[in-house]
Amino acid sequence: MLTRPTTEQVLVGIATELRDTIAPLVSDGPATVLLGQIDQILRGLAVRAAHEIAWMHEEADSIAAVTGTDVGWPASLHLDDVVAWYDSVSRVLSGALDEAFAAGDAARVAELKQLLDARSATEMRIVGGFELVGRG
Amino acid sequence: MLQPEKMPELLGEFLARQQPTWRDVRVSSYEVMTGGYSRLLAKAVVTHSGGTVALVLRGDPPADKILIHTDRELEWDLVRVLNRHGIRTPQAHFFDGTGEHLGTKALVMDFSEATSFLPYAASGGSLDGLQGRLAEALASYHAIPIAELPAQMQRPASWDEYVSGRIDEWRRTADAHVEDLPILRYMAGWLDAHRPEPVPLTLMHGDFQSANLMLTHDGHFEILDWELASIGDPREDMGYFKAVAQAAPPDLLDDAGCELFCARYRELTGLNEIQVNPVTVAYFLVLGVIGTVRRLLEGGAAYARGTNHLLGSVFNMNSVQFGHSMWLPTADALGPVLDQLAAAARQSA
Repeated sequence: MLTRPTTEQVLVGIATELRDTIAPLVSDGPATVLLGQIDQILRGLAVRAAHEIAWMHEEADSIAAVTGTDVGWPASLHLDDVVAWYDSVSRVLSGALDEAFAAGDAARVAELKQLLDARSATEMRIVGGFELVGRG
Repeated sequence: MLQPEKMPELLGEFLARQQPTWRDVRVSSYEVMTGGYSRLLAKAVVTHSGGTVALVLRGDPPADKILIHTDRELEWDLVRVLNRHGIRTPQAHFFDGTGEHLGTKALVMDFSEATSFLPYAASGGSLDGLQGRLAEALASYHAIPIAELPAQMQRPASWDEYVSGRIDEWRRTADAHVEDLPILRYMAGWLDAHRPEPVPLTLMHGDFQSANLMLTHDGHFEILDWELASIGDPREDMGYFKAVAQAAPPDLLDDAGCELFCARYRELTGLNEIQVNPVTVAYFLVLGVIGTVRRLLEGGAAYARGTNHLLGSVFNMNSVQFGHSMWLPTADALGPVLDQLAAAARQSA
């Protein structure tokens, strides 16, 4: 199969055309808001398309190491399988957090929270420059 | 409202029935407005024998386009209470409670001649003194006795019950989503471990943010959009305001602004410094967003399940992720200070 231009490149290209070519022609308020939202969605999708399978694996490795749990592997590298596996890995982290809070173990909570900080940093790489399009 | 081209005629007939003293009612313009994510909005200019009025219609979208389910009848009842108490919000005049006249359940209220706050701020308008005005706006509706609020509003039995329910909402929201959300579970545990001093429960706006504020010609805030109102801890509105302002500046409650705001709010309400201060505002920054976060996640989950097809629901997932990036460092910074405040409260008790 042809892999270049990559999905990331094409999605960024679509977003750019919508913003630079289509949006200036649109005067309808709700349509303008929708285009602004689509722009942000497409740019986030471009980042995800390029990295999300790798990022989910990297985060799972960290969760496995900190919780001491064998988190296994996805059934395949098809996205649906990876997402289902990532969900099961997230449940391991959530369970560890609930246990740490219930035990009042502040040091353990702090250790687990570092995993959440890393997850949030990844999310913000996807979201990019966030703007509440259309409010006010 | 679902068919704007028919609205001048339908609205004219509706108003003529609702306001028999108006003769020769004519809707001279009807424009769909943007600004609200969840409800249909339109501005109508109406002429009649007594003059010309500008009105806003606020109605439910079609069922398959509803992002957030809220109750128009409750909103109508509440806004009338607010109007009676002189709260700065547009006067509500008429209500189509069945949708048989306006095509959907809808309120008809005054069009505000005040200036939208966000464009005002974006164009360089002065923010001097607005922290105090913000405190006055909040204190105005927080002072309404709960007994006078619409009967259908849920009344928590106590502050503890209320806050426990709000914290559990984080866990319930995580449990209900289409994928596991460990950040929400962490925040629930953290909120539970750092409860602030209680205050009396009041009316809460529920979506108190700059986008729902107008500035009147004499420099006061007018408040719009009460569809998410409930009874709860008044500090939730403060925290929610700050949460949104950080994403969509200006943040009137930045470090210096929040001190000014809290001082004015305490002066107006009689609450003390342990109860209302920048740290408790920040605690409620986190706690207070869960209602909105739950609704946003419900929309995203529905999209994932294929039961809605609204791109707005996808877009709103960015807001949730932005929230994650705000709550986690906030928890780090606030935890030790909230512990100190709790110790001070125990000493003074």
